[in-house]
Amino acid sequence: MRKKRGWKWSILVAGVVALIVSPLYFIAIGGFMSTEEIFYKPPYFFPPRPSFQYYREAFVTLLPYLKNSFIIAFGTLLLTLAIALPAPFVLTKFRFPAKGLWSFLFAFVQMLPYAAVVIPLFLMFTRLRLINSYSGVILALSVFLVPFAVIILRSYMVAVPSGLIEAALIDGAGYFKIFTSIFLPLSAPGIASVAILVFLLAWGNFIVPLAFIKEESMRPVSIGLYVFIGQYGVQWNKLMAGSMIYTIPPLVVALLAGKSIVAGLTAGAFKE
Amino acid sequence: MKGARITLFFFLLPSLALIFIFGIYPIVYNVFLSLRDVNLISYIRGTAKPVGFANYRDILQDQLFWRALFNTIIFTLLSIVFQMIVGFLLALLFNFEFPLKGLFQAFVMIPWVMPIMVSGSFFRWFLSDNGFLNNFLNAVGLIKEPIRWITTEKTAIYSLTGVNIWLGIPLNFILLYTGMQQIPEELYESAGIDGASGWEKVWYITLPMLRPVVVATFVLGCILTFKVFDLVWIVTKGGPGGTSHLLSTFSYSLAFDRFQFGKSTAVLVIMQAIVVLFILLSSRIQWEER
Repeated sequence: MRKKRGWKWSILVAGVVALIVSPLYFIAIGGFMSTEEIFYKPPYFFPPRPSFQYYREAFVTLLPYLKNSFIIAFGTLLLTLAIALPAPFVLTKFRFPAKGLWSFLFAFVQMLPYAAVVIPLFLMFTRLRLINSYSGVILALSVFLVPFAVIILRSYMVAVPSGLIEAALIDGAGYFKIFTSIFLPLSAPGIASVAILVFLLAWGNFIVPLAFIKEESMRPVSIGLYVFIGQYGVQWNKLMAGSMIYTIPPLVVALLAGKSIVAGLTAGAFKE
Repeated sequence: MKGARITLFFFLLPSLALIFIFGIYPIVYNVFLSLRDVNLISYIRGTAKPVGFANYRDILQDQLFWRALFNTIIFTLLSIVFQMIVGFLLALLFNFEFPLKGLFQAFVMIPWVMPIMVSGSFFRWFLSDNGFLNNFLNAVGLIKEPIRWITTEKTAIYSLTGVNIWLGIPLNFILLYTGMQQIPEELYESAGIDGASGWEKVWYITLPMLRPVVVATFVLGCILTFKVFDLVWIVTKGGPGGTSHLLSTFSYSLAFDRFQFGKSTAVLVIMQAIVVLFILLSSRIQWEER
């Protein structure tokens, strides 16, 4: 056990943590203020005359974009899991030719800069008519998220007891049966963790919809927020209110499932 | 375990097909495109002519390319060094048991959880000439004239680096903190009996024991920071005058603002070469660590 510290330590830590999360606070209160108040000198630390109007207007404007974000995030989640889940079954439990190479390829694709893949994909997708479609965005996001998911899942799935799988094979169960009725249920915590991370990354992604969706009505919130950044100046209060609305789903997920997020991220980083 | 290869292959097929067709093929395709005179029209019509290394020659003569390369190096190195220092100090703070620890830990993850468009827009306001930071510094009497954090050639990339350090705190914290939890408590106890102070324990136990984790975090940090695109695109879009571009935003603006896909992919090929070089180098470092 680590050494214990009392409430004084908590207050010190609270101060540091408050500094780190302060941007979120200023975004939240910015949504209640007029543009003059947002740029007031000296700056306000509380909204002087809070108005709910900007949040209401931002929400109405963003509603279609929120719908698109949900479609893209859940679509990516489903496709990524469907493609990624079977791979670690082979990579962790069986002898298979060139296993090291396949594992390396997943890591390699994950290391590639987004731009290096997105720009040639844009040209390929232009030919395949996948520009301005949800499926194009979902497919492109999966290219980055499948390797990410495979690497994390692998580190969880190593722990599934090989003896169970061997026993089932001897009993004559098929691979698919073993995969669905033994392997997946026993990896549930890892799958949950990966699902949460994939959702968060797909929800927040910027470059993929920026490159692949030019049609305003199909844009997710990450790009949709640009409606408040017009050519003749930024509507800062609505931008901040909209930003806050856009942040609420991932924030809720993070506060409810913080442990899963942390476990997934560390698993992906260390266990090569 | 042995298994029927053909059946097992079908488990790997979907993911391998995806990354080969939409991950590996595109970066090979970049090499092909970079040797051609590709813009959107010549691409769609299929009339892009081979131009040899002309795109590379143009890029290497472009001042903005060198600026973007310089920025990428500065941005990556400074980000990683400071992210790791801040992450490490924060991990030390959390390396005790205290009330509400779990809640605070969840809060530290918030910069990672916030969509980049949100944090980017925030810093665009926070750092603007009449934004929060200048108004605050002015109000407490530290400055008279606003500092142009993101609107001059000299400062923009450093301000962006500062923002990126903040963005990297959660990941660096959590990796270093998890590493610290693995260090056996007995080491600290026996050092305590020998009369070591708190900082001596950090210097002689925590840091040396954490070395493999620090190396892994450093390598991961290099890769993740080299990938950064969105932060710069949202806060400065490479401006003013293209002087805060990273290689990633520079190639993107060549492609989508100027439709010069040939030059854009030439920059991408250079980036890919850097990534491959880094992988070779880092696998050597990590191999020597073992």
